[in-house]
Amino acid sequence: MALEIVVCIKQVPDPEQFSKITLDPVKGTIRREGIPSVINPLDKHAIEEALLIREKFSGRVTAISMGPPQAKEALQEALAMGVDEAVLLCDRALAGADTWATAYPLAEAIKKLGKFDIILCGNETVDGATAQVGPQLAEFLNIPHVTNVTAIEFTSEKSWNVRRAIERGYMKVALELPSLITVLKDINQPRLPSVIAIMEAAGREIRSWGCGDMCLAENVVGLVGSPTQVVGTFEQEVKRAREIIRGSEAEVAKKAVKRLKELGAL
Amino acid sequence: MDFNFTREQEMLRNMVREFVQKELAPRIPEFDEPEGEWPYDVFKRMGQLGLVGLALPKEFGGNAMGHVALMIAWEELAKVSSSWASNLRGFALPAYAISHYGPAWAQKEIVPKICRGEMQGNMTLTEDVGGSDMGAIRTTCLRDGDDYIINGRKIMQSRYSILDFFCPICRSGEKSYTFVIVPKGTPGIELGRRENYISAMTKTLPVGEVMFNNVRVPKENVIGEEGKGFRPVLAAVGAIGRLGGAGISLGLAEAAYEKALHYAKTRHLYGKPIIELQVIRWMLVDMETRVETAKYFCYYASWLLDQGKKVSEVAKEIARAKVVASETALDVCLKAIEIHGAYGTTPEFGVIQKMKSALDQITAAGSNQVMKRTIADAIASE
Repeated sequence: MALEIVVCIKQVPDPEQFSKITLDPVKGTIRREGIPSVINPLDKHAIEEALLIREKFSGRVTAISMGPPQAKEALQEALAMGVDEAVLLCDRALAGADTWATAYPLAEAIKKLGKFDIILCGNETVDGATAQVGPQLAEFLNIPHVTNVTAIEFTSEKSWNVRRAIERGYMKVALELPSLITVLKDINQPRLPSVIAIMEAAGREIRSWGCGDMCLAENVVGLVGSPTQVVGTFEQEVKRAREIIRGSEAEVAKKAVKRLKELGAL
Repeated sequence: MDFNFTREQEMLRNMVREFVQKELAPRIPEFDEPEGEWPYDVFKRMGQLGLVGLALPKEFGGNAMGHVALMIAWEELAKVSSSWASNLRGFALPAYAISHYGPAWAQKEIVPKICRGEMQGNMTLTEDVGGSDMGAIRTTCLRDGDDYIINGRKIMQSRYSILDFFCPICRSGEKSYTFVIVPKGTPGIELGRRENYISAMTKTLPVGEVMFNNVRVPKENVIGEEGKGFRPVLAAVGAIGRLGGAGISLGLAEAAYEKALHYAKTRHLYGKPIIELQVIRWMLVDMETRVETAKYFCYYASWLLDQGKKVSEVAKEIARAKVVASETALDVCLKAIEIHGAYGTTPEFGVIQKMKSALDQITAAGSNQVMKRTIADAIASE
């Protein structure tokens, strides 16, 4: 059973450098200058799971990403980890997309790739953190999906059981292929690429598709095609005020309740 | 002029960083235990990732990624574990000499195993008469038919107790020196006392004496040519030993600077973080500038080798990188300790360990005085 496996990945600012990130007060966007980019951490787990599935059943893994030209770096790292093919969806018209306008071109690109059996995504990205692109992509492709996956087990060539994390436990969900899952970090430990794999990946060409390659009208993608628009972003400001209430225990309790009511906390 | 690393060098740095953070950092207390089994699994893992053969020829199992790549690996390893950075240098030393000078059987049988993390040796050079004045060595290697008979005592030998082979440099006549492979278990090899160096008192980097008592090896074990042993020794010491010392020092200096910077931003005195105090800011400026200076010297010398220059042609640049980086590491570590105050001398803050390792690099692979003599000789003859 040779499987066609697709992994969707995103290049994001390095989470270890998040303390250096600031917001542009005019544009309302994240200032990324000087912050190194990495593969979204959960997407690395998706890549690893795709490679494990390929090792078990044979097949081909294609990594796909939508982003600016430098997102090729993330795809090169995916190639170094062991994926077979990489495609970058890169077009100025795709910029500024919300989750809908991200999932839609991804779906069209996956259709263009041809047959697919399994699609894997990280559950969410560290920058947007919406967790919506995976499920939306499944809807566009009209296939079932399960989010928050921490383990998978194939029951036959065409079906699998996945373990889905929920509060205080997990669900076991049976799925037929083709289907999509979004994974959590508990699912595996991503491998490190070897030096030889890095050297091979650095020399590989990465296909780049624009809107024209996917027959996408420019008014349904990018900022223009996004049904949601960000109207403002705000940095969280934590202000702490200290107030000491004195008196006997009973008095302190009474004064504290009164004060909390005044502040609207009770 | 291009100051950028290539894409594959950047990916290598990311990989080594991740390896160090995920697989080495959590095990540092274990690696630093004074006694116990040497961590063979880490050597094997470094081989599997391709780090051991990073700059070794592809035909013998290496990756031929070059000396800049090796510098990246030393720098990133040393930020967290100078022991493993030193070990990487140690694995590569005899492998480099054999790869470039033979013998052919060892290129096929030994080097690929080193690259895979399955076999390790060292360059068995230092004696009590000195390490830098190699011409004064007393270990002898005398021809007996098709064999050599080796006698002598070597000191300060890294990983001496776990090596699969030794490569002693020996006196084979008046002004004649021969470099030989001696496999472990050859009759007449005796391990002496373990030596206690300030940064080598761990099970990961045991150092000690090795004695050769009438040790017989076939003439096929000569690295390079009989009587011309200095050639492979000096090439490997330059490209791997000295540049390794420079790279390890660079990593140590960067790590100490990062720790000091973080501490200065978070430690409050007089109602504000101490980075707001001018005296601390000035210290950090000096530290950062020295680290960046050392970085340029280290990568420049490595880059020259990648451009096809011979080690002998860039001896000055290599020596300069080693002097600048090791003196930088010592200075930056000391300043980092001062910025931490008394905490800087406690192991919990991790700066004092960097200082200990930095001290080692001042004298390792040729003292800085010898490095300066090399630079002086080059300047005088220009």
